[in-house]
This record gives sequence, C-alpha cells and structure tokens, in this order.
Amino acid sequence: MAFTGNFMCTSFKKELLYGAHDFDSSSGDTFKIALYTSSATLTAATTAYSATNEVSGTNYVAGGGALTPVDPTSSGTTALLDFVDETWSTATITARGALIYNTTPNTTSIALTNPAVIVLDFGGDKTSTAGDFTVVFPTADSSNAIIRIA
Amino acid sequence: MIASAVGNVTTFKVAVHTTNGRGFTPEELAERCANKIIAISDDANPAIRAQARAFREELLKTLVFYMREAVKSDRTTVYNVLTDAGQTELAQYIRRL
Repeated sequence: MAFTGNFMCTSFKKELLYGAHDFDSSSGDTFKIALYTSSATLTAATTAYSATNEVSGTNYVAGGGALTPVDPTSSGTTALLDFVDETWSTATITARGALIYNTTPNTTSIALTNPAVIVLDFGGDKTSTAGDFTVVFPTADSSNAIIRIA
Repeated sequence: MIASAVGNVTTFKVAVHTTNGRGFTPEELAERCANKIIAISDDANPAIRAQARAFREELLKTLVFYMREAVKSDRTTVYNVLTDAGQTELAQYIRRL
C-alpha cells in the first residue's frame, strides 16, 4: 500500500524556518497540487514533486493544477491556512492521493526545487469519467484547516 | 528563562468529489459551499446547534437558487455567443438544456 495517510512533509517544516514558503494569496509563491496513482510512494519523508506514478488522463496536465491560497489567518492560538478547492473539469482521472508543492520557493537560504508541502491520502482510488474531479479542502478553522500551527 | 513550544497539527482530511459524464449540480455545489461557510460542531450547545442548522438549511436554499440562476444566465451568454457566431442550431440546443 503506497499511501499511508496525510502528512505535512518533514522537509516543509524545516523550510518554514528558512522562510522558504510564502502563502500570501496575492504576492506569495505558486503552489500546485499533483495527483498520483496507488503505485506512488508518498510519505512524510517526501521532499519534492516527482512525475513518477503521477496520474495521466483526459484534461490532466503533468505537474497538476495551480492552487489558490487563502491568506493565512489565526484562531485563538492556532495559525491556519486554507486553499480554494481544486477542480479538473471534463476529466477522466483515477487518483489515490496527491502532493501539494511549491514551484516558486524562496531559495535565498536553502536550495530547493519544487519542494513538497503536504501529502494527501484520498483513502482509496477516486475516479471521474468525462466529469469533474474536485479536491475539497477542509473547513478553515483551528480544528480542521489543511495547514495549522498550534 | 522563558521557553516556548510550537507544535504543528496534521490531523487534516480532504474530500474528493467526482462525477461521471456530467458536471456537479447546483445542489451538490451548494452543499459544499454551505460547508465552507458554516461548520457546526457536534459538541456545540444544543440550542445553538439547532439554530445553526436551521440557518444552514436556509442558506442552502438561497445558494441553490442563485446557482441555478447563474447556470441559466451563463447559458444565455453562451446562446448569444453561438448565435453571433452563426451556430444557431447549437445555440438552440444549449438553450433547451
């Protein structure tokens, strides 16, 4: 079994301390989400985007789709971040999981190419056939948001 | 000495919604939209929870109505674009959807 859960990549946590990732919705980095088959091996140890075992299908372009971040905010003592849901339209895709990665990191202090942010495990193969394939991000609150620092 | 600790949380869960041979309906999209706007905790005070759920149901109806209006309005735009391009038969097909 290739996917074993959702992970905030360990390398991403380190890179945050180097100031490598900017999630500002208007002037921040470009984040993408790539879809993978069940043959992919993505874990917390994943450090960067790879095309190996990435899905292929109608209206899916290698590298995945660009995500739209919502400006970081906070709730109580928890900082949190959300993305706008991502949809591949009129697509024929089967995917088991995904990787969110940064295509334009700040490399002033650390050398990076397409560094990994988060591994998403869909829990099983998800398929669209000449339809829409949408990744719905969780509610942006201190208990559910996709990225939280508590 | 002052010490501080920062922890990160990784208990997130995404959902994947797919369709076959069609797009999402206004009802399906409105449901997702309502979930983005209002999250109701099962642990909330029962009275507040009931009020929030009632509000969510009303919100859902409004969202569905205006999404349907948006679909109809967009078809009007597509109809006119096709008509202007001389594709009257195709335009009529879109209008009848």
